[in-house]
Amino acid sequence: MKGRPLIGTFAVLGYIIMIVPILFVVAIAFTDSQTLSFPLRGFTLRWFGEAASYTPFTSALLSSLGLAVLSTALALAIGIPVTLAIQRGKIPGKSLVEGLFLSPLVVPELVVGLALYQQVMVGLNQTALVALVIGHTVILLPYAVRVTGASLALADPFVEEAARGLGASPFKTFLTVTLPLLRPGIFSAALLSFITSFNNVPMSLLLQSRNFHTLPITMLDYIQQSYDPMIAAMSTLLLAGTVVIAIVAERTVGFAKIFGGINK
Amino acid sequence: MSAMSRKPLFLLLPGLIFILAGFAIPSGIMLFAPPGVSTGGIFARLGEMLTDPFDQAIILRTLGIGLVVMAICLVLGFPIAYLLARSTSRYAGVWLALAIFPLLLSNVVRTFGWIVILGSKGALGQLIVFLGFTDEAPQLLYTELAIVLGLTQLFLPLAIISCYSAVAQVDAGLDDAARGLGASKTRTLWTVVIPLSAPGIVVSATLVFAGSATAYTTPYLLGGSSNRMLSTQLFSYSAVTVDWASASATALIMTVLVFLVSGVSSLTTRRKGMVS
Repeated sequence: MKGRPLIGTFAVLGYIIMIVPILFVVAIAFTDSQTLSFPLRGFTLRWFGEAASYTPFTSALLSSLGLAVLSTALALAIGIPVTLAIQRGKIPGKSLVEGLFLSPLVVPELVVGLALYQQVMVGLNQTALVALVIGHTVILLPYAVRVTGASLALADPFVEEAARGLGASPFKTFLTVTLPLLRPGIFSAALLSFITSFNNVPMSLLLQSRNFHTLPITMLDYIQQSYDPMIAAMSTLLLAGTVVIAIVAERTVGFAKIFGGINK
Repeated sequence: MSAMSRKPLFLLLPGLIFILAGFAIPSGIMLFAPPGVSTGGIFARLGEMLTDPFDQAIILRTLGIGLVVMAICLVLGFPIAYLLARSTSRYAGVWLALAIFPLLLSNVVRTFGWIVILGSKGALGQLIVFLGFTDEAPQLLYTELAIVLGLTQLFLPLAIISCYSAVAQVDAGLDDAARGLGASKTRTLWTVVIPLSAPGIVVSATLVFAGSATAYTTPYLLGGSSNRMLSTQLFSYSAVTVDWASASATALIMTVLVFLVSGVSSLTTRRKGMVS
């Protein structure tokens, strides 16, 4: 960094833009003022109490957690067999098939969300929850296929052939050889999927109903109506939860490996 | 067909059905033949939008903001990625984690931070007043600048990650060789590291553009009603006015914009790849 003033300056500016707004959110969560105003006044924990007892937030949190678990499970249940077929099977047009499963990454989410709203909720008269589970699973499938695929591609297929050669059934080979090989990939994909679903806005925005709201959408609506420090307290709680997830990720597979491997 | 070749098909089938029924077919219908609207009707609406000054401004704002954010993310993100990839410091891992961490945090929370900073009683406005530049805090929120700042914050981690893996793939021995042959640090960067990591830089640029041109949270919270983008228009056509023809036409423009910029980017990599 020495003798590189320009590169250093840009790097510092980059970190400031990424991190400083988050610090301001935390700071204003403790202010003893009714509005988001500076300079900060006093110190209070009451906004945390209000956020935790505000029912729209608590019920939306449960909805978001449930939706994230359900979509992650479904994306893995559908995605892992696809990964196996792509990585280990002899299928015609392999790259085309893989491209199809990765394509939700390139089509704008709002477009897919609108399509599902129009045809699943309005057209087929299904509930928001049904449409949301479909929509979120569609967004998560590319992660499930790509991330588990990356860990399987690293593993030597000969190990599985050896198990078969030694007399193990295909099912036993899968359970005792392939699945353990896949485990880090499945864990990474699950964590990545859960976070992606939990934080999603565009899909959840279009697929909402009067009685089903996710947390990001509820917070978005709240911010649009009033700027009070309660939303900062809720944000700080979410930040704390996210830090816990990051630490768990770091202790298990490695933080940078899971979340940095997205584009590799 | 042998049993071996039939098995993959059976593994693939649930996924294929799901991706076709839950994604490809609904998206296709929505873009080209939504209920009650003819394909001709969509293209007629598309033609109107492309010639109407109000819609033109929204398309150009979306394209412009997408390109500006893309440029800023590269200018700020590449140096971070380069420094991290070439760093021998034991804290490099911590800095990398700090750059990736914001990706896990909700967009709503991250965007809300800018309201705290840019709002009428916000930190920046009050600082400007305190320093005596103006008597009243300038309008910072609900501007295109606010959208650009918000989107840069959201997509910088993505730019850093893809530039980082691109730079990490370039053998550091090549830097040393260039330096040993007398090239300055700056010259080594421009003639060795950047050309060799160009494909990764282009991927990063494409991801940032696609993300910024289709983001909803940021223009909704930071742009206000006077700085509409395609995403906020798309939402109001579908949820507020329920105008399927306009929604489809907007979705088409948005999708084409993303594909166009990705296409142009991948063409430049191909040419660069031939040179190096």
